[in-house]
Amino acid sequence: MIELNGNNTLIFSDLPEVIAKRWHGQVRASLDVKEFLCLIECEASHVPDLCNWLFSELGYSLASLIIEELPSYWLLRYVFYGEPGSGQIHVSLQSSKSEKTIPSISRFVHTADWFEREAEDLFGLVFEGHPRLGDFVLHEEWPEGVNPMRTAFDASCPYIHRELDPDWRPHRIVKAPGAFMMPIGPVFSDAAESAHFLLETVGEDVIRTIPRFFYKYRGVEKIAEGRSIGRALLLSERFSGTSAFAHSLAFCQAIEKIFRIDVSVRVRALRIILAELERLRHHIAAIAAICNSTAFAVATSQASILEEEALRLTCTLTGHRYLFGLNAPGGLSMDFSEQAFRSLADAVYKLFNKLSELKEMLRFSSSFLDRLEEVGIVSRELAFAYGLVGPIARASGITRDLRKVLPYSDYENIAFDVPSEQEGDGYARLRLLFSEAEQSINIIRKVALSMPEGEVTPPRFEVTPGSALGWAEAPRGATFHWVRIRGDGRVGRYRLTTPSFTNWHGFHLASEDFAFQDFPIIMATFGLSNAECDR
Amino acid sequence: MFKWVLKGLKTGIVTTLYPDKDESAPGASPGLPVGQKDNKEEVLSVVSRCPTGALSRYDHQITVDYELCVHCFRCVRRIKDPIDWQNGYEWAASTAESAAGGHKLGKAFRRSLHIRVVDAGACGACLSEIEQINKPYYNMHRLGFFITPTPRDADVLLVAGPVTDHMRMPLKKAYDAMPTPKGVVAVGTCALSGGVFGPSFASGAGVSELIPVDIMIPGCPPPPLAIIHGLLVMVERRRSSSLTSPKSQAEGRHHV
Amino acid sequence: MFETSSLFILFLTLCATGTAFAVLLPDRRNPTALALIASLEAAVILWVSGYVLLTGRVFQIDLWDILSLGTMVLRMDGLSALFVFITGLVFLPVSIFSAGYMKKYLGRYSLKSFSIFYHLLFASIVLLLVASDILSFLLTWEGMSILSYLLVNYEHEKEKNTSSGYLMLAMSEAGTLAAALALLLLARGAGSLDFVSLRSASTVLGESSRWAIFLLSFFGFGVKAGLIPGNVWLPRAHPAAPGNISALLSGVILNLGLYGIVRVNADILPVSQIGPGLITLIVGTISALVGILYATIRNDMKKMLAHSSIENMGIITAGLGAGFVFTASGYPVLAGIAFTAALYHMINHSLYKALLFLSVGAVDSSVGDRNMDNLGGLIKVMPWTGLFFLVGALSIASLPPFNGFVSEWLTLQTMLQSAALESTAVKIVFALCGASLALTAALAVTCFVKAFAMSFLGIARSAKAEKAIEVKRSMMIPMGMLAVSCFLFGILPTYVIPVLDHTISPLTHESIADELVPPFFTVVKGDPKFSDAFVSEFHDLGAQTGRDILPGRGLVVLHRGTERNPVVFAMSTSYTVVMLALLLGGTFILVRVLTKSRTVTKKPAWDGGVRRLLPEMTYTATGFSNPVRVIFEAIFRSSMFDDKKETIAVHFRTAIGNERKEVHIMDRSVFQPILKGIRSIASLLGRMHTGSVNIYAAYVLISLVVVLIIQALL
Repeated sequence: MIELNGNNTLIFSDLPEVIAKRWHGQVRASLDVKEFLCLIECEASHVPDLCNWLFSELGYSLASLIIEELPSYWLLRYVFYGEPGSGQIHVSLQSSKSEKTIPSISRFVHTADWFEREAEDLFGLVFEGHPRLGDFVLHEEWPEGVNPMRTAFDASCPYIHRELDPDWRPHRIVKAPGAFMMPIGPVFSDAAESAHFLLETVGEDVIRTIPRFFYKYRGVEKIAEGRSIGRALLLSERFSGTSAFAHSLAFCQAIEKIFRIDVSVRVRALRIILAELERLRHHIAAIAAICNSTAFAVATSQASILEEEALRLTCTLTGHRYLFGLNAPGGLSMDFSEQAFRSLADAVYKLFNKLSELKEMLRFSSSFLDRLEEVGIVSRELAFAYGLVGPIARASGITRDLRKVLPYSDYENIAFDVPSEQEGDGYARLRLLFSEAEQSINIIRKVALSMPEGEVTPPRFEVTPGSALGWAEAPRGATFHWVRIRGDGRVGRYRLTTPSFTNWHGFHLASEDFAFQDFPIIMATFGLSNAECDR
Repeated sequence: MFKWVLKGLKTGIVTTLYPDKDESAPGASPGLPVGQKDNKEEVLSVVSRCPTGALSRYDHQITVDYELCVHCFRCVRRIKDPIDWQNGYEWAASTAESAAGGHKLGKAFRRSLHIRVVDAGACGACLSEIEQINKPYYNMHRLGFFITPTPRDADVLLVAGPVTDHMRMPLKKAYDAMPTPKGVVAVGTCALSGGVFGPSFASGAGVSELIPVDIMIPGCPPPPLAIIHGLLVMVERRRSSSLTSPKSQAEGRHHV
Repeated sequence: MFETSSLFILFLTLCATGTAFAVLLPDRRNPTALALIASLEAAVILWVSGYVLLTGRVFQIDLWDILSLGTMVLRMDGLSALFVFITGLVFLPVSIFSAGYMKKYLGRYSLKSFSIFYHLLFASIVLLLVASDILSFLLTWEGMSILSYLLVNYEHEKEKNTSSGYLMLAMSEAGTLAAALALLLLARGAGSLDFVSLRSASTVLGESSRWAIFLLSFFGFGVKAGLIPGNVWLPRAHPAAPGNISALLSGVILNLGLYGIVRVNADILPVSQIGPGLITLIVGTISALVGILYATIRNDMKKMLAHSSIENMGIITAGLGAGFVFTASGYPVLAGIAFTAALYHMINHSLYKALLFLSVGAVDSSVGDRNMDNLGGLIKVMPWTGLFFLVGALSIASLPPFNGFVSEWLTLQTMLQSAALESTAVKIVFALCGASLALTAALAVTCFVKAFAMSFLGIARSAKAEKAIEVKRSMMIPMGMLAVSCFLFGILPTYVIPVLDHTISPLTHESIADELVPPFFTVVKGDPKFSDAFVSEFHDLGAQTGRDILPGRGLVVLHRGTERNPVVFAMSTSYTVVMLALLLGGTFILVRVLTKSRTVTKKPAWDGGVRRLLPEMTYTATGFSNPVRVIFEAIFRSSMFDDKKETIAVHFRTAIGNERKEVHIMDRSVFQPILKGIRSIASLLGRMHTGSVNIYAAYVLISLVVVLIIQALL
């Protein structure tokens, strides 16, 4: 059931009919009931209208824009997802190779802004109607007209030295006299990830943020092409080390879909445990980072102790502190004993108690809360317009969580809450991290104490060409992995849509109109990873 | 505020005793594969399972190139005869050039070393582990190690990541801005060889392509204790490990 | 006697010659002739006034009698001589500077008329200062006002300048009117217009006349001095004026307002009540605080300096106010100290403000822009101007060893002397004013850190600033002269204060030289302040021997002569500078010796690893002073002038306006309400003019009835 703007509702299965009526049969829609997927195929001219309809009238969020350069045509796929029960919609568009101009949808669906800018840099496509505000993935010294994601581009060639354009200037829009740009990064004064921010200001208050990411662009999507599944798996878990399991899970699920591998219930249950363990560790680390950003040393130490305990717990259980090398298409690389589950349940219970104590103590530390409350506010409307995901969106009142919306790995069989907050400020995000960590602990305990029997070793499977979308709710939010396997069993296209990418897009909503000294705190409460964003 | 003080006191000291005593807490290190002298055919078959070419067969032995190993566990899990696994953490090694050059930093740095961290495209795990050495469990301040906000005050550059194209200039600038004598510590497999990413159009094959590296810390990511060991080796308070086998380097690397 | 007065006549003759030359010479040659003759004039007048200051020999020239108005008298006493001396001190370098500076106007504006006005202005100012009767005083005052208006409005083709000029003239005339009224009230009792007879007749004036005279003269002359509320003309006049005229405006013409206040309220009719003194103190303090606040947030260097002039005039006035209070309370020594502090600060202000205005003029003529947001990095291209500006900035920020420190320190110490007063309320006022002046001093440092750093340090923020070149030597020498004077007046206060004492002691009838600058290490036996036991103990310590080693008057001391604690405040900038030199030189040598064997490599500043540190990534002047703007929001009440956002399709922003503007607090709270009132009255009156004959007839009738009723009632 999809809530429409009025009080009318629309049944998911009626979508093809409604679409056919609305566009007089010029747009073809078909249903895949098993996958809960509606595939819409249309001409380029209908795309903006259609996406606008899906976004603003049916309330779907844009998950990703997947672009593939196939031998004879461009294949663009706009992936939408909505509330629980509204499935996913793929709008697919074929465009001839000679055509390089695609109508932009970001005027209607602002989430697409960065997707389109990225595609413009990497594929050389032009999105008509997009204002093109400066360079994006490829920085100013990248030669014009070289698009690394084109199939003709050789990924193994070493980069060439490129001359810097002396007249290059960042795109400034603040017009006040005396306005200047405060540069931060790319090498931060802390052990922070590389990124560059130019804060447009006239002093004291940040008027506009110009984020410059992709300093860590490793071209993962490109170098994955032509690799074997086993080596692409390494990329999927290592491009963002702090959320390795969730990303490898999304990748494995895509592979499992392509090859139609049945995953045993035990593997599904184990994957839930490991994914939640990762979420727990990530959220504790994020809490520590927030405490650190307010220079609250004691609380930082307390949270860091919990973080290291979670890391050691993970390592004792799985052999690796960041859950590397566990996932495999169709299974896991190791199995665990009953004893291990019992001690895991005990250990997370202890963590739960310590975390609750920390939460209570922070709740009554007024000097700490002063730095967080009503700082870095993202309203629900803007969060939706920018398509924000994960804890940041949930702190602004958007409760979409892929574990509920598009359940995977048997999440639908587990009872858990998706916590949410309404204020959208720094403190709401902190509270949300605590509540989610507690939920994760609950899930771990529930699953660990009722572990189903089964085989974890991946079954033998036949390699067939195909493509599929895998997804997971990573600690920072929804991630979508599109994998196409070529006839030779190697990866033909690997498209990564990560929560950090989606959420950095909306970062300026929170960071603007606040003082300089709030900037690091707002950054910490967003808790995003540049490695995950840049890929 | 008082309850925070009380809470801190109640927590007590959790800091590791390393380097005075060995740390044996479970989960402090994921361990590393070690080469075997055994020449059983089954064992040699694990070489083919290595996705990064870190394992190689040389003279009926298996040698591990730690500059390439990414802890994928494919040589230990789900096979009949796994490779040996060691659980230590003293992995840091001086590079050949550094060893020949002798004392890089003077004695004055032994008890006070200022470190600048540069993220040259790391996945986040290495950075997370670097952050841990600043936290209560490892507390590098007790050893006289400090993170400094600017390379102008830094004695050692701690670099993680394969050095992406866009980070080349910032990294070079940071290195150039440091006063002499200066040292460079490469943290993690990516910083040593490019790891799973490099070399490619967007990232290089490690830090040593761009600036001279003195200490190499293998691991994906190296645990905090390994990073501390690396820093201790830098100031000659700890011996360099002999993990990196020169033979495997000499053969050159090849990517699958 | 004969010598000085004939030299004075020589000065007037030179002025006349200069004017004649200006008329005869072509425009091209005028600046050089101006510089030559005017600096000669300045040298002569410096000699005359210096002679009077040092010897104390007053001279008088009686001019012609005017029917029923008495004799016109020119008389140079100590007070006049001091002001004339400062005038000469500023005119000399400014005249030399003009030779190079005025060339940029060649062919655009008439240099001939500039020179004519310049010589006449110089003459009128000096005549004003030596005028010793009301008639000649008012005549020369008017002449000075009009000539300064003409010079400020020199670039008359710019429309904005014309309106600033008119504002200046209008406010000046309003002030003159008030001051003239005050003088006439004084003259009413005396029967003569001569200052000497006014002085003798003033003792019989009643309370209300004294109050009226004080208020009229203080606020009338206060307009010229740039005190609140009549200060709004100054920040507008300065940006309009050429650089050299700005230097004169702040360095000389503002002083004339102070001269009027001092002449009337300290000399002719000494303040006899605490009330006027407190008003002077409070007005001075508020002027200082308001002045420096606006100076801090202004980015036009000249506007900034103009507001800073208001600040300094405020500090001087606060010192004068303290002096009035002490006089009225019967503490002539403390009053003398206060007057000394105030007049010392006035000398200093003239020197460093002239220096700053000349260097800003140099920057302006070289860069073509005075907005600090567009400058930056000038020290690399204009090292000397930068150095001189730095000296001026250090002086005005009251940092030792420069002159601002001495007088600011004395002024603040004077505020502390209020402990001697009886009334608690007055003490509280003094404490508050002292605190405000301290805040002012702190803000002054912020203001001039900004001015120097944003203009001369960092990276050039515009192409013009990057390509600027150093000015000619003829413009650098006068700046150097002023910079050296700033330094000398900073390190040699012990030689300046006795001279000032000659000027001030006739007003307070007490010498303060021994109080402020006692002979070094000298305590004489039998001094009533010290017990004999103390003196002999002092001698036993061998302190007396210091006198043989260190000559002259070595310290500036404020005695608070209690027996237990004979010396409380003591300071010697002369020895401070020796110590500074030793410390800095010693450190330099030490560093050199210690690091002899090391190689020093220079590398660019760490920029966080950005590709290129662009000039627009560095702090602008606006950004630097924005925290002050935010903290003092209650005073500035800046309103968002432009906050429009341009967007494409809601979320793509293409332009964000964020311009704030603030109306000066005096405009906002004094003049705008007055204007509004006048306008509403005018519109009310306008409503009566309907144009209908019947209504006008009715008005006539109504007035007739009203008059008749009044008549009947009386």
